[in-house]
Amino acid sequence: MGIIKAVNLEKHYPSPDNPAKTFAAVNKISLNIQPKEIFGLLGPNGAGKTTTLEMLEGLTSIDKGNVFIDGVDVTKHPYEVKKIIGVQLQSNEYFDRLNLSELLILFANLYSKSIDPRFILAKVDLENKINAFPDDLSGGQKQRFSIACALVNNPKILFLDEPTTGLDPQAKRNLWNLAKDLNEEGMTIVLTTHNMEEAEYLCDRIAIMDKGSIIAQDTPQQLILDYAPEPNETPIHGNIEDVFLVLTGHGLRD
Amino acid sequence: MLTKPQIHLASIFIKIFYRDRQSLFFSLLFPLIFTCIFLFSGGEPNPTKLGLVNQSLDALSFKFVELVKKEKTFLVKEGSESELKEELISADQTAVIIIPETFNQFPNPGKLRLLLDASQVRQVDAIKDSLKATLLSIERDIRNIEPMFSLQLEDVKSRPQRYIDFLLPGILAYMLMNLCIAGSGFNIVEYRRRGILKRLFVTPIQPKDFIISIVLARMFIILIQLSVILGLAIGLLKINIIGGLLPLYGVILFGAFIFLCVGFFLGSLAKTQESIRPLVLLFTFPQLILSGIFFPISSLPSFIQPVASGLPLSVIASTMRNISNDGAALFAINFNFLGIVFWIFFSFFIATKFFVWQKVAS
Repeated sequence: MGIIKAVNLEKHYPSPDNPAKTFAAVNKISLNIQPKEIFGLLGPNGAGKTTTLEMLEGLTSIDKGNVFIDGVDVTKHPYEVKKIIGVQLQSNEYFDRLNLSELLILFANLYSKSIDPRFILAKVDLENKINAFPDDLSGGQKQRFSIACALVNNPKILFLDEPTTGLDPQAKRNLWNLAKDLNEEGMTIVLTTHNMEEAEYLCDRIAIMDKGSIIAQDTPQQLILDYAPEPNETPIHGNIEDVFLVLTGHGLRD
Repeated sequence: MLTKPQIHLASIFIKIFYRDRQSLFFSLLFPLIFTCIFLFSGGEPNPTKLGLVNQSLDALSFKFVELVKKEKTFLVKEGSESELKEELISADQTAVIIIPETFNQFPNPGKLRLLLDASQVRQVDAIKDSLKATLLSIERDIRNIEPMFSLQLEDVKSRPQRYIDFLLPGILAYMLMNLCIAGSGFNIVEYRRRGILKRLFVTPIQPKDFIISIVLARMFIILIQLSVILGLAIGLLKINIIGGLLPLYGVILFGAFIFLCVGFFLGSLAKTQESIRPLVLLFTFPQLILSGIFFPISSLPSFIQPVASGLPLSVIASTMRNISNDGAALFAINFNFLGIVFWIFFSFFIATKFFVWQKVAS
């Protein structure tokens, strides 16, 4: 059995055009993520990636279906689930007037744990910023600190929501290496991303989502084999971005 | 029993407040302004300005003038009718009394004329009553008769009661309400908007843990803020807390709990910082009028008194006043105590039931 098992997940919201009606932000999604796997949820804006992730994390209520994290039912025991997962959110806002060390100690205390903030910051290469405030950090440093906050409880599973959005190539590469290192230590990682290169480089398996449903799910290599266009006269190598565009279309999304 | 996360989170909120020098400055500035206002005014309302025109120039009229001048509630200025009338129109006088030339012509003395600014309704009655009493005293003097009945005012509670003694508990309760709602309602909207609440709730803490933590922290901060005011009031304004400080602090803690919980509820209802302001005003403004802060609830129209008495600010202010002025016990079973118990449970229920930590759906 996978460390994350989701069966026929559904989430409905009032339709923006007609509040009397609803639309399925997530429509009968099933996942079976194995321990120590890096699993990617890939999809255009509004595909339902973040909603799916938040249902797995116990942050958003589940309309239909079930999620089990390490055998624990998320709907019945959300607080038990939160003890064994680490979550990095898209927003990087924290309480004012607290430095990195104080924030990490605060988050550790919310799990009733004691930590050495220097040790956690060293993991994300921020040990020299221990007395800095979040506002003093660069974009890449903020993202790494956000991951540091998610590590205070030494989680079994780490959820990353678009971790490299807005980062420069160096910061992006640095963060990928961090994710790889954490995975090699035995952590299961689930991430959402728009970045094809990121999905291809980091993920053992990928689920491509569109309009609330999973439209393909496999290893990056297999997806390329299955969906990337055949090389034509001018030999070009297909990549996961080709797969993505074939499956979800070329039209712009909000 | 408090948990380790609750205690740590509470200590963090206190640390954040302590490091916010601007908040610290303003939280101490108001008590200082408040104390200075009452220190310089002597803690009593200003005397009524009364213009006096004496057209009689007779010994009796001078006696009347002397008696009126002795009244502490009046600040008397003598002058001509035209001059004082102008001052009355420009609101430099509250009333002008004119003693006619025929003031001493018995048995049909000329009538005293009282010129008034009708908008000063509250003072008018007091002026009329004082003048009647003065006239009566002069009449007795002329007729050489002793009053058959005498009225000696004796406070049954045997303590000096000033306006500031009445006002201070109400002001403390009103400040308590505002500090609490600013500390919970406004904060929660801001924390939610910035995604800080979401960051907290990816950890295993529950809404009740968050609410208890912020309530603990704010209670601590508010106790210090109100202690500064109380300290100044006791030290400089010579306020006597007859029932003792301990029961008074007890009510302050109960009040803080109630208003912080109401703040959480309002913060959960509000979608933005802009919408929390009218919501808070809707809650606080009627209570400023109806809860007997500046005037007793008994001076309100009778049909509204039962509702006014049950408002959270009313039960807190009345209990504080009863302890401060009358030495009442904190846990005396009466309407106010039952009101406090009701509001404690009701406010905690609505705070936790309606708590929203995610973005409010539009």
